[in-house]
Amino acid sequence: MNRNKSGNAYALTMLCPIKPGVEGNRIYADLIRDQLESWNMASVSPMSLVPNTYLCRFFVLDDIYTESLPGAGIWDALSDIRLIPSNEQRLAALPHTDRLQSRYLVFTSNLHGDVDDYLHGMWQSIHVEINTIWKYCYGFENVNDEVSFVAYAKKCCLDTSLFFVGSNDDSLAAQLKALYVKQEFSRFAQETQDLSASQLRLAYTAFMQHIKPRDVEQPTWMAGSTHVDL
Amino acid sequence: MTKALDLCDIQGNVVRAYGRFGFPIARYLLLNVSNGWGGRAWLTEMIPYVTNSATWGTGPDDAKRPKATLNIAINHAGLSALELPLESLNSFSTEFSMGMKKRKDITGDVGASSPEHWDPVWNDDANHKAVHILLTLNAITPHALENQYQWVTEQIEGSKGAVTLLDGHRGPNGQLLPYQEAHIIFENGLPTSKEHFGYTDGIGDPYFEGIQDAPERVAGRGKQMSDGTWQPLATGEFLHGHLDEAKEYPPAAAPILLSRNGTYLVYRKLHQNVASFDTLLAREGATYPGGAELMAAKFVGRWRDNGAPLVNAHDATSKLQWDADFAKASVDEKDAMLSNFTYDDDMSGARCPLSGHMRRVNPRASLEIKAGTCPGQFLRNEGAFDTPGALANRRRILRRGLPYGDSAKRDTDQGDHGVIMMMLNADIGRQYEFVQQQWVNYGNDFREANDKDVILGNRSKHVPNSVIHQADPEGDAPPRFVRNIPLLVETRGGDYFFVPSLTALRLIARGLIDPT
Amino acid sequence: MSNIAGKAYAINVITPVRWWTAWVNKLIFWFALKVPKTLNGLLTLSLIHYARWVIIGKNEFPVLSADQPKEDLRYSYMLFFSNFNGSWEQYVDSFTFAIPSGLDMFWKWNIRYPKSVPLTPFHDYIRYNQIQTDHYYNAYPMASANDVKSAKKLHLALMDFDARLDTHATDDAFQKSFHKLLRDLQHDMSMMHHTPIVSMAAQSVQMRLVADRMRRQNKVEA
Repeated sequence: MNRNKSGNAYALTMLCPIKPGVEGNRIYADLIRDQLESWNMASVSPMSLVPNTYLCRFFVLDDIYTESLPGAGIWDALSDIRLIPSNEQRLAALPHTDRLQSRYLVFTSNLHGDVDDYLHGMWQSIHVEINTIWKYCYGFENVNDEVSFVAYAKKCCLDTSLFFVGSNDDSLAAQLKALYVKQEFSRFAQETQDLSASQLRLAYTAFMQHIKPRDVEQPTWMAGSTHVDL
Repeated sequence: MTKALDLCDIQGNVVRAYGRFGFPIARYLLLNVSNGWGGRAWLTEMIPYVTNSATWGTGPDDAKRPKATLNIAINHAGLSALELPLESLNSFSTEFSMGMKKRKDITGDVGASSPEHWDPVWNDDANHKAVHILLTLNAITPHALENQYQWVTEQIEGSKGAVTLLDGHRGPNGQLLPYQEAHIIFENGLPTSKEHFGYTDGIGDPYFEGIQDAPERVAGRGKQMSDGTWQPLATGEFLHGHLDEAKEYPPAAAPILLSRNGTYLVYRKLHQNVASFDTLLAREGATYPGGAELMAAKFVGRWRDNGAPLVNAHDATSKLQWDADFAKASVDEKDAMLSNFTYDDDMSGARCPLSGHMRRVNPRASLEIKAGTCPGQFLRNEGAFDTPGALANRRRILRRGLPYGDSAKRDTDQGDHGVIMMMLNADIGRQYEFVQQQWVNYGNDFREANDKDVILGNRSKHVPNSVIHQADPEGDAPPRFVRNIPLLVETRGGDYFFVPSLTALRLIARGLIDPT
Repeated sequence: MSNIAGKAYAINVITPVRWWTAWVNKLIFWFALKVPKTLNGLLTLSLIHYARWVIIGKNEFPVLSADQPKEDLRYSYMLFFSNFNGSWEQYVDSFTFAIPSGLDMFWKWNIRYPKSVPLTPFHDYIRYNQIQTDHYYNAYPMASANDVKSAKKLHLALMDFDARLDTHATDDAFQKSFHKLLRDLQHDMSMMHHTPIVSMAAQSVQMRLVADRMRRQNKVEA
């Protein structure tokens, strides 16, 4: 059951196993992390170049840490019943500590539209950056173009059990344009509060010509921009 | 279930806003402790005179109403100076340990409110004159206040330097005083509960389990329930060592006897720019169909003259009716008229704007929002949350304090007048700081993006300085933008203090606190 | 590392689930989707851009190569990823104060989940199982989920208004209909700006980043 979709929004979750190699005295997982940190230092993320990315994140999963309260499963229940459980029973009742055999690069993206188109677009816009991150992953040595990237990605994809969309599933361009219009119209409404009816009408016409509400490409907010004129 | 509190153990300012109990004048003193042994000896002398919360009256179990009160609060540096064990010191909350100055980016004390502009008393750490202790004196008459003050200063002198009274509170005419004065504003010789912008203040106060207050006063002051009734808030929202709204004991300092029946006190001296306020009101009121007084009411949510809540008196006509009813009402009915209301029928903000000061600091159930049946309308989404006030119940604050200074001369912002706010809560981060940062200086929870509280919002040229006064979605009037709101309030000092119980004070004084 | 991008916070929580009850979780999620009323509280809180729950079976970790060792796990895992507005405390607290039963429903079958009330064990549960994000991207850091929703509404209303304009109407008639538009949009015209800081730690990291960037720029230009 494909629950990755909610309307036109899509939840992409990739778990990409990382090879255990070493380069320059550091393990691959740490090099990936390093690369991601360097993206944090840039003035805008490379992901801002990938069309239709609402919000996305990367992290390296080293292992499954379980720090929930001890106890689980049948031995736990049984040890509750027995008055004085033996030490073996008591220990068996503690949650088993799982260990992962590999580290994983986790990439989740909330995006608009078809996931294949998205992955194609991702390769087209930032395949150089993609390579710097993913080159340390199992199976990525076979990736050298859009098609092989999509095939690789599909193998790493997980199915979503519940995708909750709190805002909406419009295209990113539509969302950014709407935000631009909201900001500009709010400013306009304030500034024209005291105008006479005729002045208002003139101002309105000029305003609409300026913001071009039906032109989704521009003027608009830039993806990932942290600066907005007041 | 209500459990009787040990009122003899709780300091009096927690349960009472003295100003409303016939104590119209106050002095707030800041002290430094330079040696622990001497400081504790001084504290021992003071304790028998600390006012507790015992009921005043003439009955056999009642306490005699004093002519002047005395309460003590200590900040983190002060507890350290009194040589509280390190483990106990480290068990206080992060906010308290850091102190208000270091958290100015959260409280929004930037620009004109930045600590470098505060009264000198707060900025003298380098000369071993750091603020450690807050002593609050309230009195019935000036004579009683002066006596109390004399006695306190004598005790301080008697400590032979272990405890010093700090100078550096800015007073009228720019002089520096060894205390901060505060007093009720009188109009025509009669005491009022006004503050310097002209608003009737100090009406609401949270009603929590264990306070000895008339049960009907819970309406409007406690927490709003789904069936329309009101319940008292859990004691632990305001006092450590008692269960709070999350059904657990609020995180508090160890050991238990140190924190039980104590609470945190947020002290803030807020200067008020009366000239800017008057100008703003005159400018906006001139073009407002409802007139300047209605505009003023919209800034806060209550009419200035008598505190009538806008939700029940939303225009001049209904205000007249409200006034008439108020004049005929008994004391209890008056109280209900002022406090017992909800925003349920005003979710859109057409009566009390969503940016109104009162609504921002206590939204009641007005955050349970859903789109209405017509555009521009909000309705209450009943049943969406566990209880209607779920998002507000844990953000309540006890407000104490009084106005200071004189604002007869209103043509300048440089005068010496404002309000001393003392806010009491069990968790500074979850209560005071949250309200200040998310509801006063930001508007997302109200669906108002970055719009700030008109009165308290920190402003500069780098932020939006306007708010929207919503209109009746089914009426003819457009919403009103209030633009170019100037900075109306500036912080001039403050810190986070701990108000220990009497038990804790005694243990601190005897150096017996041991968290082992 | 950063869990913050403008007004949004990225939370990642991974918790073990008994493999033989994972299907119950999936069922509960399916139910929530079919009966939208279950998500009413979450929608009213209005703090979330996008959130997802992913259940990965103990044998379902991706295998990309013969060289890759197979995972040998006792438990299945529930992954929770959310993009929300406000601080961590505000988010977790809102869940607990406003929709505790909803929360319990989703996490109930996790190993030793402590229930969402009282608060502190729940806080601890989430915190201990939370993993820091290494890189977080937000296409509109200046906009909360409320802002994005409000923007769409305003944009559509404005275009509709414009399309219906009667060019022959008098100025007064125009103004009247414009006022109606403003009334309709009266909850959508607050302007957007930066977020309040989410924590002292995040604030210092931000300031240091800006300072470092400027220092590097100056070095380059020098």
